[in-house]
Amino acid sequence: MQVNVALFAHLSSFQPDGEAGRKPRAFDLPEGTTVGAVIESLGLPDEPRVLFINGRHADEDTVLAEGDRLAIFPPVAGG
Amino acid sequence: MKRDLLRVNMSDLSITREPLPEGWRRYGGRALTDAIVFSEVPPTADPLGPDNVLVFSPGILGGTSAPNGGRLSVGAKSPLTGGIKESNSGGQAAHAFARLGIGALIVSGKPADPDARYCLVIEADGSTKIERVDEWAGLGNYELADKIAATRPENDRYATIQTGPAGEVGAKAAGIAISDPKGYPNRFAGRGGLGSVMGSKGLKAIVLSDKGLQYTEHADKEAFQAAMKRFAAALKEHAVTGQALPAYGTNVLTNILSEAGGLPTRNFSEGSFEKADDIGGERQAETIKARGGHEHHGCHTGCTIQCSRYWMDKDGHYKTKGPEYETVWSMGADCGIGDLDDIAELDRACGDLGLDTIEMGATLAVYMDSGKLEFGDAKGALDALMSGADGGVPGRVIWDGALATGKQFGVAHIPVVKSQALPAYDPRSVMGIGVTYATTPQGADHTAGYTITANILSVGGTVDPLKPEGQAELSKNLQIATAMLDSVGLCIFVAFAVLDIPDAFTAIHDMVEAHTGDSWDPDALMQLGKETLVFERLFNEKAGFTAADDRLPGFFKSVPLPPHDIVFQVTDEDLDSVFDFVPETAAKMGIS
Repeated sequence: MQVNVALFAHLSSFQPDGEAGRKPRAFDLPEGTTVGAVIESLGLPDEPRVLFINGRHADEDTVLAEGDRLAIFPPVAGG
Repeated sequence: MKRDLLRVNMSDLSITREPLPEGWRRYGGRALTDAIVFSEVPPTADPLGPDNVLVFSPGILGGTSAPNGGRLSVGAKSPLTGGIKESNSGGQAAHAFARLGIGALIVSGKPADPDARYCLVIEADGSTKIERVDEWAGLGNYELADKIAATRPENDRYATIQTGPAGEVGAKAAGIAISDPKGYPNRFAGRGGLGSVMGSKGLKAIVLSDKGLQYTEHADKEAFQAAMKRFAAALKEHAVTGQALPAYGTNVLTNILSEAGGLPTRNFSEGSFEKADDIGGERQAETIKARGGHEHHGCHTGCTIQCSRYWMDKDGHYKTKGPEYETVWSMGADCGIGDLDDIAELDRACGDLGLDTIEMGATLAVYMDSGKLEFGDAKGALDALMSGADGGVPGRVIWDGALATGKQFGVAHIPVVKSQALPAYDPRSVMGIGVTYATTPQGADHTAGYTITANILSVGGTVDPLKPEGQAELSKNLQIATAMLDSVGLCIFVAFAVLDIPDAFTAIHDMVEAHTGDSWDPDALMQLGKETLVFERLFNEKAGFTAADDRLPGFFKSVPLPPHDIVFQVTDEDLDSVFDFVPETAAKMGIS
């Protein structure tokens, strides 16, 4: 299945193509892949993060589905 | 620690100084401006008349080395909302007031001559004078700052408080500019039209010199320094206050709010902006770096978070601060504008005219929604804004805010509560912030109870933003805690660390005790927050506000917001529960 993955702030440098930036990349993944497995394969640092699938909060156990957009943020805030 | 009330009466230009009344000794910042406005302003007074007062107060920790302890509260009856207003700003003025031994400056009255302009000067030796400065009439904030600089001795250290042309003509969205550490008049007590209260009193500027003055003394210096170090360590340790805010500034929020479907776009008609990344904090940081701008600094001395930055134009010259997230949202996504240079141009114009960027961006979006201007037309937006400078149309209406503009041009969706424009989070997809917008005595204001923490950012727990459950309780607790921080004089961004690191709250308590020498049981800090809100709620009640004013505009409950296609669902009963503590707390305070 295909899943789009976008990484934000300092995490964007972990995109496998090495080009950083926030634009989503298409990943080919086996059915049943979890968010946690994607995080592990990207080698993201071990720190708190905020996860969205299609604009809704998700956690690492969430199983991805065909066409999902996964967005990963480090802890951020402002206002 | 000396904290006097300095009273300046603009009717007869008299100045008096008196000790802070004993009953207010635990109040500073927002608590003190509220107590004074509550006690001294008739709730039905004309906000631009002689009976309104304009109050400036540093927090309890103002003038100390407490990290992020230099916030300034400015209070009055608001010309925009018709209710009580506390507008909070960074900049150098709060520390200067505190070091001068001034707990609050109270400006009352109004000169008989509407063309008279005055500058109040407070020197480091405590001497004060009011100078006639009619030749400064109509000056923009940047030129005014230069004129003031020319009057000061070499090597002086001073802060300025200014009102721009918008404040001089009584615009309901006029803000008050406070100078930053480099002297730029770019920090703002922006919301609620307080620049016009200053303008109505003929007061064009205030200069505070604190040259040679030291930190204010502590009752127990050793205990203060120990607590201060613990607090600083917590701010450094937390990922938001220690890393994300210094690296990307407040505008790091644009991408995450757009992702969550909570970034109001084209006058609150969509929740995601297709150009979010073009105007987001990551792009902003990259551009500032490439142009040689100031990448991060504090908005006031003693700030350790350092979320401020300077935007440089394409030639590398200073254009404006930030822009901050709220401005990037209002002038950007909400107006359909996807270019940071265009947004910075609008920010600079507002900064120079002395206008609230949140209200102005939201207002320009309402104007665009009328069909008079296309969404995304940055040049048209700037022209419309600037047309107010000579009293022209549509600018002069725009300067009065979203409600005035929406009514004038027949717009169906006017995003205001208590006549003040909603900020940068849509209450349909972030329901907790909708509770804050609806119920805060300030008019729609995100800072009054920033539920984005638990709703979006997973700071201080999590509360699903797309469901109504738990939102009223979340907003209530944050409104009380925020009122406390605003009174202590701490930047509300310390809350990100305080919500996750228990010792940070204890450290605040310990700093307050060690500084004041008064014993505060930890619950007393929350009691301070409640008392602050009681002053605000009671003032508004007397000014005629009812539960009907604690509601969002109807379209938030009837028009679904893409992409989640959701409406605001928190019940009126829940909204009315937020201030259930007021009668009991007011009775304890002996006021009604």
